[in-house]
Amino acid sequence: MPQVDDSDRTELRDAVFPMPRALLQLIPSLICASAATAVVVGLGLVAGALAHAALAVALIWSVCAAQWYMVHRERMDQVVARRYLELLTHLQEPGLAPVFNAESLPAVDHRSPWYAPLTRIRDFLASFHDRQMQLETSRTALDIRLQRTLAQLELNAAVLSKVGEPVLAVDAYDELLLANSAAEMLLETHGEKRRIAGGSMRDKLTNMIADVRRRPVSAHRTEELEWTDAQGHKRWYRATVDNLRDQPSGFEHGGAVVVLRDVSAAREIQQQHAEFVSAASHEMKTPLAGIKAYVELLADGEAESETEREEFLDVITGQADRLQRLIENLLNIARIEAGVVQVSKSSRGVNEIAAEALEVLRPAAEAKQITLVSDLSPLYLGAMVDRDMLSQAIINLLSNAVKYTPQGGTVTLRSRLADHEIQIDVEDTGVGLSEEDCVRVFEKFYRVEKDKNMAAGTGLGLALAQHIVEDVHGGHLTVRSKLGQGSTFGITIPSAGRNA
Amino acid sequence: MSKHVLLCDDETAIIRAAEIKLSRAGYRVTCCSDGQAALEAIQLETPDLLLTDCQMPRLGGLELIRRLRELEATHDLPIYMLTAKGFELSAEELKAKWNVLGVIAKPFSPREVLKLVDDLFAVGAV
Repeated sequence: MPQVDDSDRTELRDAVFPMPRALLQLIPSLICASAATAVVVGLGLVAGALAHAALAVALIWSVCAAQWYMVHRERMDQVVARRYLELLTHLQEPGLAPVFNAESLPAVDHRSPWYAPLTRIRDFLASFHDRQMQLETSRTALDIRLQRTLAQLELNAAVLSKVGEPVLAVDAYDELLLANSAAEMLLETHGEKRRIAGGSMRDKLTNMIADVRRRPVSAHRTEELEWTDAQGHKRWYRATVDNLRDQPSGFEHGGAVVVLRDVSAAREIQQQHAEFVSAASHEMKTPLAGIKAYVELLADGEAESETEREEFLDVITGQADRLQRLIENLLNIARIEAGVVQVSKSSRGVNEIAAEALEVLRPAAEAKQITLVSDLSPLYLGAMVDRDMLSQAIINLLSNAVKYTPQGGTVTLRSRLADHEIQIDVEDTGVGLSEEDCVRVFEKFYRVEKDKNMAAGTGLGLALAQHIVEDVHGGHLTVRSKLGQGSTFGITIPSAGRNA
Repeated sequence: MSKHVLLCDDETAIIRAAEIKLSRAGYRVTCCSDGQAALEAIQLETPDLLLTDCQMPRLGGLELIRRLRELEATHDLPIYMLTAKGFELSAEELKAKWNVLGVIAKPFSPREVLKLVDDLFAVGAV
């Protein structure tokens, strides 16, 4: 940065006090002046006019002084002008704005012929300096704002990356402007440019984006889209696409922001509910079909004998009882859902409850030629239990075993006392469960897909049993199974001795 | 000779009601309690009509129909489906895909089943 430095000051001082150099320059004049003086003195001696000589000397010295003054002032003007020109030259250098103090600019002698133009230059330089100082202040303020904005951007990016739902923004050409980490899976890269990937979902998303892009005002669209990931798993996303036209910093030329919400779980629950309603209605329609058919047979006089009439009536009663049981089951589930189950526990023998449950399932097992084996402990297994509820849980396990064991198989009911706990196992030689099914089989409404056609069911039996064993009796319900090799469902509950 | 109707349903009470109605009307009725038993019975003697449930142990109704359509003897066997599944089974789809004459929704009326069977044989469709 050019400044008024020491060398300039020396130059100026030399200009103001130029004696040695000026004297050298004046030597020829002084020699001439001395010669002339000698001549005049000679002439004066001759003429005897000392006064004239003195006058002449004064005149000559005056001329010299005037000449010296003129030279000095001209040099002064040159130095000042040169300095100003230097500063002006530096002003034109790009990226090199001069920094100087307006006060330090050399003064211009008002008697100089250059006074007017140099003053204008000085004023210009002074105002330039002021503007420069203002710009410097603004730049500092902008720097601070920039730092804050960058920090805010970093914070926004960090927050966005923590959002579990995919969020991304595209420009007018569907190229990616922004994507959080959850959205990364939806992107594919073409060289430098990244776009939304994902087969059918991409097409639908692109259509949605194109639609909101066309709208002149703020608009958004929401749709549920199916997505298949790299492993071939299907998921459902609720996609919301917004053109952000109502935002001051929104997209001006067709950009859009896409927010996806994974609704697969909700969809699955919907699906399970639909299947549950379907299964429940199927279960209810079957006994109703029996009642309706036999009432009609009676009405049409198809009963040819009293025995046959009684047979018809028995069927009607049996089917009505079955319907009632089903409704009770549904109500139990509804009560469990609502958390209003009445539990009444008392000290009971578990073997007795298990044996009764086995008898309930005997007709169904016999119909399928399934052997029911009772392997109950000879010990009295006392526990604090809700008799009806525990019975229901064992019946549900036995019923499942009979349902999913092929004709001619065996279902074993076993009870043991082990380490102050009562173990009740229902073991079958049935179709068995895969590892995934073992994990999911207690889920409400869950039914093993491949075995669905083997038997009717609501998908509630095991969920109900698990609730009874674990929540009501503080025990555990577990399953051990291998596909094609049968299953063992085990109830573990604390014995009365442990409770006491 | 009376027409032979094969009834297939794991709900024995329901099947018995239809059997009583149809046999009193003069049809020869055979009952099976699952798809596998029906398939075996049909292979022994092809009936004139099959009424089958959908959801049964061992062999379901749809699988039974699929297998029957693969056999030459039963490729054109008239079949009605009995089901409590209602709207889940499309009669049009069943007709187009497996040539199923119709779907009888449970709970059904034995009277209506008899009428359906009477009409089927009266028009000489089979």
